[in-house]
Amino acid sequence: MRRVLIFSVLLGAVLGKEDFTGHQVLRISATDEAQVQKVKELEDLEHLQLDFWRGPAQPGFPIDIRVPFPSTQAVKIFLEAHGIGYTTMIEDVQALLDEEQEQMFAFRTGARSTDTFNYATYHTLEEIYGFMDILVAEHPQLVSKLQIGNSYEGRPIYVLKFSTGGNSRPAIWIDTGIHSREWVTQASGVWFAKRITQDYGQDSTLTAILDSMDIFLEIVTNPDGFAFTHNKNRMWRKTRSLTEGSSCVGADPNRNWDAGFGMPGASSNPCTETYRGKFANSEVEVKSIVDFVKNHGNIKAFISIHSYSQLLLYPYGYKAEVAPDQAELDQVAKSAVTALSSLYGTKFQYGSIIKTIYQASGNTIDWSYSQGIKYSFTFELRDTGRYGFLLPASQIVPTAHETWLALRAIMQHTLNHPY
Amino acid sequence: MPPRGQPPPASGPGGPRPAVLLLAPLLLLALQGVAAAPAGAGGTEDSPGLQDAELQRGLLQQAARAALHFFNFRAGSPSALRVLAAVLEGRATVNPKKECQVDLVFTTDHYNREDGEERLGKCSARVFFRNQKPRPAVNVTCTRLIEKNKRQQEDYLLYTHMKQLKTPLDVVSIPDSHGHIDPSLRPIWDLAFLGSSYVMWEKTTQFLHYYMAQISSVNQWKTNDDAVDFDYTVLLHEFSTQEIIPCRIHLVWYPGKPLKVKYHCQELQTPEEASGTEEGSAVAPTELNNF
Repeated sequence: MRRVLIFSVLLGAVLGKEDFTGHQVLRISATDEAQVQKVKELEDLEHLQLDFWRGPAQPGFPIDIRVPFPSTQAVKIFLEAHGIGYTTMIEDVQALLDEEQEQMFAFRTGARSTDTFNYATYHTLEEIYGFMDILVAEHPQLVSKLQIGNSYEGRPIYVLKFSTGGNSRPAIWIDTGIHSREWVTQASGVWFAKRITQDYGQDSTLTAILDSMDIFLEIVTNPDGFAFTHNKNRMWRKTRSLTEGSSCVGADPNRNWDAGFGMPGASSNPCTETYRGKFANSEVEVKSIVDFVKNHGNIKAFISIHSYSQLLLYPYGYKAEVAPDQAELDQVAKSAVTALSSLYGTKFQYGSIIKTIYQASGNTIDWSYSQGIKYSFTFELRDTGRYGFLLPASQIVPTAHETWLALRAIMQHTLNHPY
Repeated sequence: MPPRGQPPPASGPGGPRPAVLLLAPLLLLALQGVAAAPAGAGGTEDSPGLQDAELQRGLLQQAARAALHFFNFRAGSPSALRVLAAVLEGRATVNPKKECQVDLVFTTDHYNREDGEERLGKCSARVFFRNQKPRPAVNVTCTRLIEKNKRQQEDYLLYTHMKQLKTPLDVVSIPDSHGHIDPSLRPIWDLAFLGSSYVMWEKTTQFLHYYMAQISSVNQWKTNDDAVDFDYTVLLHEFSTQEIIPCRIHLVWYPGKPLKVKYHCQELQTPEEASGTEEGSAVAPTELNNF
């Protein structure tokens, strides 16, 4: 009851982000009409800034007042001087608010801090969204959460921004979970987010990167698909959009980009896993990123993460032509893959999409590359088929950790080779 | 069997880089217009197609996979299953009918490799792909990876374990969504992989290759004349199209005896119903292999 009261009364204030540190809520028992009148006098003293939650009415009915910190002494002295009884219902309003915020997050994530969050297990969408909020709350100077759109089914699409300041600095984009069944990728994204906050100020490479550049991390790039993999079909890959004229659901968000759209390397059949969609950017999950990247205008590296196969790929996927920056991209890929394997010996192959994996048109990094984002890469994480999409949770942290070394190598190269 | 989706120009992944890939004999063949490049391999008509080296590497990988599935099936031993480690060398020839013959040497790893275990077997194989038709012809020989006695022991252990499992099995997915397989259910997974090897062998072509993604249900479980009678539905993941294909598989197994497999895979969700029903036993119409 008290909680409901607090929220209903303070909702506006909370949204306005007021600070209630030291504020107290006093419950006054006025025993007769004279005492009620005395408390009414308090109401008239505007400089006290009292907030009556339950105003003076009749004797015997409690009077509840939120008293700002500077006024607490004065009010208490007044009440005591007139023999009016009172109790302190809430010692510190802000502390209570903080505790309740925490509990709200805890309810959603099961964890109260990113230090107690379990990175070695797979989480639901709610848990991951809850994690994001806690991380932002713990590192408000470094991390913020942006909403870049809403999914087909109306779920918010969030991107974490890691920034130490500046104004639209050159930035690195990382996305995980564009294919919802590739669970090790969203799980790795969560781990990366935490890792960035730990490494800033500790790891010289990451610190140098964040001192000049921003990092954008979209952990659940396909939230509808992700929810579907939890609730209905673990093997769901695509979005959950409805296609007019077909009973089949979803388009492949990695065939929906405006790069070679419509060419061989994607399917025109809505019932297939590589259905490209009715037209380029038909999927809101894709369009949201396109709009964000175009509006930002200063993304310098774009990394899209998938599983499985253990590959590091660069453009092109839709054509066999060699990318103009092929030689440099190949070098970067090689050093990234070397860094990755230095941890556990995990072997990755690397090369262009079309030569290394298969022809894929309308794919993410062909588009980002066409936007002038030179350092465009796609990862395919563990494993090579033994478990595939159902990678045991025990491999999440090793996978995320080794992949992080590769990401760091790519980011460092981007930092040292401005263009 | 109708081709499914877009056939890719080459399928690369599946294992570590080959230590040595002898392409010299391939170059000569390449000049004779070797590679069976499917439609769309090079994008538009104007742009060049894939280099023959990439196509060759893809073909060798495909052949290795087909050979290994077939080998695992013929060996009939759920405790001695192998996975591809690396292709060492190979060459391919394509005839005017776009059928490919691939000769290759590759290394294998134990499927259930224990930590620290570093055992590589070596296989040589001849695989004949019949231009996107199923059932590549396979002739494969592999060096021994596990001692025969040890293998028989482990098979028998697995067998007794399975006979002790209570029926009906109240199990749904193996592994679960989090990739976990309960140790008590591991033998089911291994035996299912053995049966699925038959299916995956038959369905592998120059362009399509499969992985066993999940057992989505175990339907029936009884032991007649002491054999293990196992009826289950498996989800196969086809890599180039990314499709998940449910296959109902029925196998009968007794350690040391040839595996008997019947299966029915659900074809792509198109408005028209299409199904493929195949039946097979270890006495498949291919050459015998020695191991």
